[in-house]
Amino acid sequence: MIRIERVSFTYENAGSGGRIEDIDLCIKDGQVVLLCGESGSGKTTFTRLINGLIPAYYEGELTGNVYIDELCVNNEPLYKTAARVGSVFQNPKSQFYTLLADTEIVFACENLGLPREEILSRFDETVGAMHIEKLLGRNLFRMSGGEKQRIACASVDAVKPDVLVLDEPTSNLDMAGMADLRKIISGWKQAGKTVIISEHRLAWLKGLADRVIVFENGRIREDLPAVAFWAKGTEELHKAGLRAPFDLSGIRMETKDAETGRMVFRAFTHKYKKAEVESLSIDELSVPEGKVVAVLGDNGAGKSTFARCLCGLEKKCAGTVNYRGKNYKARDRIDLCYMVMQDVNHQLFTQSVLEETILGSETGKQEDPEAAAEEVLKQLDLLDYKELHPMSLSGGQRQRVAIASAVASGRDVIVYDEPTSGLDYRHMLEVAGCIRNLANTGRTQFIITHDAELVAECCDYYLFIGDGKVVRSGGWDDEAVKYVSGYFNNVTA
Amino acid sequence: METVLRNTRPGRKQMFLDPRSKLMLCLTVIIITLAGSGTGIMKYVRVVLSVVPIIFFLLLGKTWLSAYYAALYAFAMTVPDLIAPYLPPVVNLLFTGVIAVSTQMIPAMSMFCFLVITTSVSEFIAAMDRMHVPKVITVPVSSMFRFFPTIAEESSAIRDAMRQRKTGSIKKPMEMLEYRFVPLLMSLVSIGNDLSASALTRGLDAPGRRTNVCMLGFHWPDTLVFVFCGAVMVLFCVSLIFGI
Repeated sequence: MIRIERVSFTYENAGSGGRIEDIDLCIKDGQVVLLCGESGSGKTTFTRLINGLIPAYYEGELTGNVYIDELCVNNEPLYKTAARVGSVFQNPKSQFYTLLADTEIVFACENLGLPREEILSRFDETVGAMHIEKLLGRNLFRMSGGEKQRIACASVDAVKPDVLVLDEPTSNLDMAGMADLRKIISGWKQAGKTVIISEHRLAWLKGLADRVIVFENGRIREDLPAVAFWAKGTEELHKAGLRAPFDLSGIRMETKDAETGRMVFRAFTHKYKKAEVESLSIDELSVPEGKVVAVLGDNGAGKSTFARCLCGLEKKCAGTVNYRGKNYKARDRIDLCYMVMQDVNHQLFTQSVLEETILGSETGKQEDPEAAAEEVLKQLDLLDYKELHPMSLSGGQRQRVAIASAVASGRDVIVYDEPTSGLDYRHMLEVAGCIRNLANTGRTQFIITHDAELVAECCDYYLFIGDGKVVRSGGWDDEAVKYVSGYFNNVTA
Repeated sequence: METVLRNTRPGRKQMFLDPRSKLMLCLTVIIITLAGSGTGIMKYVRVVLSVVPIIFFLLLGKTWLSAYYAALYAFAMTVPDLIAPYLPPVVNLLFTGVIAVSTQMIPAMSMFCFLVITTSVSEFIAAMDRMHVPKVITVPVSSMFRFFPTIAEESSAIRDAMRQRKTGSIKKPMEMLEYRFVPLLMSLVSIGNDLSASALTRGLDAPGRRTNVCMLGFHWPDTLVFVFCGAVMVLFCVSLIFGI
């Protein structure tokens, strides 16, 4: 049993996360608890209380006590908690310490000094239970986000903790990755372990969570059994700032109005060095110009390759793209397209939002670059932040700064790689709003995403990629809605 | 279950050597090539040492790399001496100095790369543990192994981002450095923070003796390495003392 007794915590460094206030609750053994709420509402802070990172790693002011059975987490050193609580984090790339799947799985057991034979037998047990035989012997840097996350789970499973804490584990996962994770958690549930998951994406936990705790401004707003939580309608969830189970029914089905121009891809192929097969091979594809196109498909299907080729980042990509009557080869496309990357931090170079918008852009070449940049920022609702450092902004705002520099660059085609991963409902809406606004300026936008609500919110057209080929594409009609819904709802089945 | 964890002897991937021998070899090459005077008998010893990386390249099946390495080293050793007399003294002063230093760095750097490429983090920690090196040293050094690929990954993403912004051309080196390094450092710091949090929840700070699943042990290739290193060190001392 986990007991949280009148706990309040404020970070010393405000950037580390949201504070929490006066939390008092019990979690029974074997419960699967879902923590939800907007970004900064305190759900991540709550997970850190349980795995002991607060107060041992994150400094701040703590009152109250956290107990796991008889162990008082906040008074014990971290390694004592480590044997009892396993943690899986949001970002798959920053939680493994060794480079190889095998050694990573036993890493925690080694640290805790278990006997060698015991470690090897636990290794076999974990690998068997999680069906990860195929991942053994592989370099973690060459794995997809979903595979890395499975190794992270295996690594905590080998320690055999009673409690598992997962902090937004699906932010970087596709549908298949989520389905795998769901299986793992349901395995833990059957084994009687207590599982605590902090999440924005909720639908995949339907039927798995026993209890849902909703955070708001560092306090518990609601604490209710899962059944009661799922009984809430989509609107009620949205009002509370939460993501809702996916629903495409409200999507705009456009009447066939005036025929727009088409953007046509011909013999669009790419093969990575040393790869045996082409990771992208599209004979012919045409999408409407000036629309928002959702690029869907599982990880490894070729979506990112498609985006990189489209943006001219892969110079060896063969084929041409015809846009507004002009043919573009790989090298020319860097002037046509701009990619907003998944890890937006890679794209932020300067000291202020305004400078960021001016840097390397078309607006920068105008007579009064600042005025032009301000115009762009106004369009994206960022004008109030123009003097701030981009790194001091929230995730959603940073995403918008990156979009601002895409707009300022003057390119006609903007490609987004997972623009809303890890964003809550409100921030997702902000980004979707930006994208819709830009669509009105006649730009063509491609969004690679696993976020069903984003698709419902702002895409006019969809493109399914599988094995480097276009499996299906088109505008929204009844059949398309059915197909896409089927894809997104596959997880809970 | 088939896994590297059950290996009892170092294989080709580890160059058939125990991590401690590799460390020894690496240190020997670094000391001799950087500190040695390069006169008398050491001149020949140095050439012998610079051949060591070639053997390892071949062991790892990197035939082309070994050829590149040999060509580069031969070039750096001979060409400056040949053309130096025909160049103005100013150029010589700058030029020959740089070449001389880089010549000496080539084998040392290659050996360091071998150490990193062929030793896994776990093997490294195990070796350090065996030598009773305290954790305050082992932990930061071992995380360095993991950071090389991270730096490569992050920096290639940043390069793409810069290309899209049409910024950071060679013409403006200061700008290029700033735009290259600021996001890189930012993201490395944040990865580092996440990484330490994750490692701590997995008991990295446990005070007891760590279990090391991977098996260490010396075999005949290690003996060869130690004899070789010993011989080189003896020659080094002899040449220092007697000045031959």
